[in-house]
Amino acid sequence: MRNFLIKLGTIDRKFIFVLIALAVLIPLLYPNLIELPIKVDKNTKIVFNSISELKSGDKVLLSFAYGASTKPEVHPMAIALLKHLFAKDIKVYIVSLWPESPIMANQAIKEIIDTKLFNLEEGVDYALFDYKTGGFIVIKGIAENFREVYKQDHNGNLIEDLTIMDDIYSVSDFDFVFDFSAGVPGNAEWVQYACDPKKIPLSSGCTSIMVTDAIPYIESGQLKGILAGMPGAAEYEKMVYDLLQQQLNKNSNLNKDAVLTKGKALARMSAQSVSHLLMVIFIVLGNVSYYFSRKNN
Amino acid sequence: MSYNFDIIGVWSLVIMTLSILSYLYGDNPFYKAAEHIFVGVSAGYIFAITWWDQVWPNLFGRLFPDYVKAGFEFDGLYIIPLILGLFMLFRLIPSLSWLARISIGYIVGMAAGLKIYVFVNSNILMQIKNSSINFDGSIWSILNQFLVLIGVISGLVYFFFSKEHKGTIGKISKIGIYFLMIKFGASFGFAVMGRISLLIGRFEDLIKYSSEQFYFATPIIFIIMIVVLFIWSTQNDNKEKTN
Repeated sequence: MRNFLIKLGTIDRKFIFVLIALAVLIPLLYPNLIELPIKVDKNTKIVFNSISELKSGDKVLLSFAYGASTKPEVHPMAIALLKHLFAKDIKVYIVSLWPESPIMANQAIKEIIDTKLFNLEEGVDYALFDYKTGGFIVIKGIAENFREVYKQDHNGNLIEDLTIMDDIYSVSDFDFVFDFSAGVPGNAEWVQYACDPKKIPLSSGCTSIMVTDAIPYIESGQLKGILAGMPGAAEYEKMVYDLLQQQLNKNSNLNKDAVLTKGKALARMSAQSVSHLLMVIFIVLGNVSYYFSRKNN
Repeated sequence: MSYNFDIIGVWSLVIMTLSILSYLYGDNPFYKAAEHIFVGVSAGYIFAITWWDQVWPNLFGRLFPDYVKAGFEFDGLYIIPLILGLFMLFRLIPSLSWLARISIGYIVGMAAGLKIYVFVNSNILMQIKNSSINFDGSIWSILNQFLVLIGVISGLVYFFFSKEHKGTIGKISKIGIYFLMIKFGASFGFAVMGRISLLIGRFEDLIKYSSEQFYFATPIIFIIMIVVLFIWSTQNDNKEKTN
């Protein structure tokens, strides 16, 4: 047994790659094979409640700061949040702070329109703005004077001609700011340059790797909860799905004939859990093997 | 799927994904080609989008408003960023490269000035305020805040190098190390979760594009790659033997 454990420590890493690949592939190919329960985290609940407290006609600024590489983690939360906002008839303004973000924002809006859940009109219910380079400079610009940074929407329409832009001059004219980010600029820049100085509630949905850096902002109330990576997205999707299912026949903002579908992050969680379990087993076995090999030497 | 361009896009996506994943086997021509294409395409895309979405409307739109028609009025002050931008390009001419330092100096100074205030406000003052204990809360919230306070103080003591870490200072800094280790452990766990999420995203696409609708892109490219890699590695082995 002892020799076997020592030998395990010298196993070819390609074998581990194959096992990880299988741990991800099998739950994706057979989603009903392993169904693990999802417990909603406290921070996801805070985000959900903060959005639920907004009123019809309120204005929410969404910052898209992620690209294709982090799409699996962040995109499902963007879809779920947009559904939640449009179900409450909230006006949505999308700015892009990463070069690929306009593509992500367009895809998210298209996916929402394709669900046929809402009757949306661009320029009235939502507005999309092109990518601006500069990171935190753009955030500071939005905080001070939105119209100095953006003169046109992504279709080239002057913002003076858009009804949705009436009374929007700076970040103070928004009721809530939500940041989707995968790096810099991200939630830290929104806290520092816009929402702390102007006292605007801010929440964030970000990649897993950013979560530990954002925790101090959550504890201090500078961020109203957080959607933490894929599990955060899955939890939020579940909450929004349950809410829309309850409201489908009662809410006038929802098309009754539309078919509600569960989000993508929920389906991915089994693969996430199984692969994590496998990683934990590897770490334990690796440590045991290392312990015995050190003892032998 | 009305246009064949979609199929070309799907096949390119599958080739690029499998080429990057082929690095798990080892450094190989597929991986190298995908890496170079990625760098080139990214640079080209970022240049084009920065030019058309930022430089053209925001800079030239203010200098030549009637020509660019970006909604701005003429503003002569924008000649300064134009000159600073041109100075940056002088880095390519060795005799004039010193001019780029003026632009870099402006960027560094401006960024530092902007950052100092917001950092002190959001990351220091607000965090100090929230590290205090609110004794009106429940016993659990007081305990939680007490733990945070211990973590903050011991963590700061660990990074205090003006006094040798011995005696009481040593003990407190050791507690700080444990808090830091917990933070690093959590960061590692989140990092693993993030990477697995990305892998799930790639595998989902590969599964989706393995259907008949996309002319079995994934299995066909996968098999071709394995065959090519096998031939390539055998040739490499033969070369090594003859050398």
